[in-house]
Amino acid sequence: MAFEPVLTRNIHRPDSGTIEGYLAAGGYQGLRRALKEFSPGQLVEEVKNSGLRGRGGAGFPTGMKWGFLPKTRDKPRYLCVNADESEPGTFKDRLLIEKDPHLVLEGIILSAYAIESSLAFFYIRGEFHEGYRIFQKAVQEARAKGFLGTNILGSGFSLDIIIYRGAGAYICGEETALLESLEGKRGYPRIKPPFPAIVGLYGCPTIINNVETLANVTLIAERGAAWYASIGRPPKNTGPKLFCLSGHVKRPGVFEAPLGVPFLELLNEHAGGMQHSDRPLKAAVPGGSSMKILPASKCDVLMDFDALAAAGTSLGSAGGIVMDTSTCMVTALLNVARFYAHESCGQCTPCREGTGWFVKILSRLERGDGRPEDVGLLTGIASNIEGNTVCPFGEAIAWPVESYVRVFREEFEEHAKRKACPMKTTAVR
Amino acid sequence: MQETSPPPHQPNVPAVAPPAPSPSAPIGADEVTLLIDDRPVVAKKGTTVLQAAENAGVLVPHYCYHPGLSIAGNCRMCLVEIEKMPKLQIACATPVAQGMAVRTGNDRVRDARAGIQEFLLINHPLDCPICDQAGECRLQAYEAAYGLGYSRFHEEKVHFPKRYDIGGKVVFDAERCIRCTRCIRFCDEVSQSHELALFQRGDHAIIGTFPGRPLDNPYSGCTVDVCPVGALTWKPFRFKARVWFLKNVPSVCVGCARGCNVDVATFRNRIHRLTPRANVDVNRYWMCDAGRQSYSPLYERPRFERPILRGGPGAVGPEEDTSSMDTGSLWDLALDRSADLLRGVAKAHGPKALAAIVSARLTVEDLYLAKRVLGELLGVPRMAVPPHEEGEDDHLLVRRDKTPNARGASALGIGAPSAGRVKEILEDAAAGNVRGLVVVGEDLTEFPGFSEALFQKLDVLVVIDWWQSPTADRAQVALPACGYGEFEGTVVNFQERVQRLRVGLDPRGEADPTWRILRDLGRRFGLPSEYATSRAVFDDVAAKVPAFAGLSYRALGDRGAPMPAGAARDAGASPPGA
Repeated sequence: MAFEPVLTRNIHRPDSGTIEGYLAAGGYQGLRRALKEFSPGQLVEEVKNSGLRGRGGAGFPTGMKWGFLPKTRDKPRYLCVNADESEPGTFKDRLLIEKDPHLVLEGIILSAYAIESSLAFFYIRGEFHEGYRIFQKAVQEARAKGFLGTNILGSGFSLDIIIYRGAGAYICGEETALLESLEGKRGYPRIKPPFPAIVGLYGCPTIINNVETLANVTLIAERGAAWYASIGRPPKNTGPKLFCLSGHVKRPGVFEAPLGVPFLELLNEHAGGMQHSDRPLKAAVPGGSSMKILPASKCDVLMDFDALAAAGTSLGSAGGIVMDTSTCMVTALLNVARFYAHESCGQCTPCREGTGWFVKILSRLERGDGRPEDVGLLTGIASNIEGNTVCPFGEAIAWPVESYVRVFREEFEEHAKRKACPMKTTAVR
Repeated sequence: MQETSPPPHQPNVPAVAPPAPSPSAPIGADEVTLLIDDRPVVAKKGTTVLQAAENAGVLVPHYCYHPGLSIAGNCRMCLVEIEKMPKLQIACATPVAQGMAVRTGNDRVRDARAGIQEFLLINHPLDCPICDQAGECRLQAYEAAYGLGYSRFHEEKVHFPKRYDIGGKVVFDAERCIRCTRCIRFCDEVSQSHELALFQRGDHAIIGTFPGRPLDNPYSGCTVDVCPVGALTWKPFRFKARVWFLKNVPSVCVGCARGCNVDVATFRNRIHRLTPRANVDVNRYWMCDAGRQSYSPLYERPRFERPILRGGPGAVGPEEDTSSMDTGSLWDLALDRSADLLRGVAKAHGPKALAAIVSARLTVEDLYLAKRVLGELLGVPRMAVPPHEEGEDDHLLVRRDKTPNARGASALGIGAPSAGRVKEILEDAAAGNVRGLVVVGEDLTEFPGFSEALFQKLDVLVVIDWWQSPTADRAQVALPACGYGEFEGTVVNFQERVQRLRVGLDPRGEADPTWRILRDLGRRFGLPSEYATSRAVFDDVAAKVPAFAGLSYRALGDRGAPMPAGAARDAGASPPGA
């Protein structure tokens, strides 16, 4: 059976993004159906049965996450939408927000109904000004049509949405930093436990879901869990997925495919293959800059949570970065390290100090001042960071450092030995 | 000072192993048993692994955790291994659970700690030789105990402002800062003045203040105390003494009626700083800046080193030349002269012509002997205690009552401080009805309604004070008493808690503790008891005054003890406040 794109089905319509276009394409039918046919608990079950796993990076089963909410109802529950997409190499949520905001909005309304929340927060990355404007318009349209507000479609369920623009910090995509930022504080990740489902926004039970995850909820409500679970590699990697491909490819972009699509199919068929025919694939990071790198020899993998975990990396945010043989791995890693050093919030010791240290060592290696012991030092620092930080940001820098150095150790050693970058004819000073 | 003792160089070896609870011992409903380094430990539910370990004598090193502040969990130094948890966990934020097995010192934990130490030091200036914190610095102590001992860092360090004047009395060195945020949390949670915040990100993160709002709250010095490194330093103490030369004496601040527990740090017979000593019942971990500076009059006001005699009775004569006399004879002469002069007034004008003004800044021992000697033996009918009030009680520690022992004066039956009673005595003296006055530890010229005429009307003025006050300058006999830190004794704070002051300094010149001066004066009036030490005086107080029943220096210990419940107290005393 040929795969039918569903997440991106509306993006090429001339009226994409408007509520008229969305309704004309059958939008908000899932919401009508769910409000009529499902109790909130049944909708949670439906999402559980679909096998949907979070699309933000960790791949945690969405229905199970919703199930962590406390049964007591002495406090309001909140739904927070994580639209702070900032992982380098990742630009899928942006596409949904800008091209099909109602698909996301319908998912938000459905999810809020499922977790019995009457207030949702849409935390959008500050730089997404266009997305902010579009989403704001979508919310107004939906409110005017009665999909938002009090007593939605006569169901008795009410929901309002507050759109909140971040101030441009990568760390605010970490869910507890997002909550802090939303509360008006410095975007510092919180110590867990307690998890947000128990103590979240303003101390209340809170569910934080990624934009793409919520768009998937719309599809599940529309077509049912059984249909959803038949896509991809059931039982644990179900549903359609947006994959980003960037770097040395002919046609960088966002591509929809079932979970478990082979990486090489994405690269060669969707992204048009390598950019230059004379420069073959050298390495790829399948899941966004914070994930571990795979050498070309190991790139024959399926793109889903479990297959990539087995290959020693992760699906992450599915922001694939492709590098050809012209790439200097020290430079590439330096580029990654610079980003993480700049974005480290500075709260906890290993990440605050370690990220800057990486940049200094890598800069030295690249400009020809490397020492043989630097290579081992890089992995040593990475292992002192990994697992010892407040939030997963520590891994987000430790993993690339560890994997780039492990996979391309000779190249790093060559930099130190030659006192120059072997990819360039002369050392850049 | 820090809230816990510095770490031992041999980590995690408890000095005294507490008895291990037997596995079969019943535990309370609100308790759990866990294993810390294979040792069963009983802990209350809700306590953290760090606290449970500390209670069991196992030190888990930490920077950002402070018992008086919220949990930040940012330094990562307290990472420990907990069975069944894949990652190391921070002991400061992990609550204990039944059956939990914790390892605080295995290879994995030690590697992580060494890693944290390395991270903290890579951008640290390592300027210990010129750092005031050296010797009581956690970076130093933990590096010795847990660090690699060498550096793998060969880069340029991140540079920050040094010697930055962050507020009234505190200097900030941002390069030494480890961003534990204790100071920020102190200003947010305890002083509630919110001056400090973290600015910038990553390894450029820096503590700072907001424009136009320096760190200037009444408790700013506590930010220096909580700073585990040398980033925040206390201006009056900067470069004054290396801390390993300091002798810390546990004592009490006498700046107000709170009686914050302090360590008096002395070196070469000089107080160099007061730092709060933890006492959850009194001051928790804090003290105010005024109290921190309360010793400074000791070095600002003129002292007199020997008793001063100026003839008498009647108009005050010139200071007599006693330079040829030895200490013992001079004191004997001064005390004899005092006794004779006071007796003379009583004989000439009756005991009603005598009065005494004693200070609530004196100790229980001083006041007790003042009452016995002046009141009972000499027969002074009126004894007043001047109040010293200023400002208002604040939300934390500061009390309006600036005397440390007003409750003690009440409990001893001398009476609560009363401006009215002092005024009466002064007016009667100005009117010629009071002819002989004994002033202990007070300066009359400070009081409202004071007039110079008063001194001229008095036939006899005997002053006992630690400094040469304007009042002492007008006395026929002025007897030099010990200043703060030079004497021991007890004071009763506003909560009716009795606490000990201890000796950290040798007396200045020939000064004597006030209680001993009063004792020796009392001998001239037939005081029978020997009172060899202030402890003996206190034992007598405990035996005779119900409000002190059952108390002793030993019972008071380092943290004091409340007066016995239901003890008879001065009618004017109000119940203990918060």
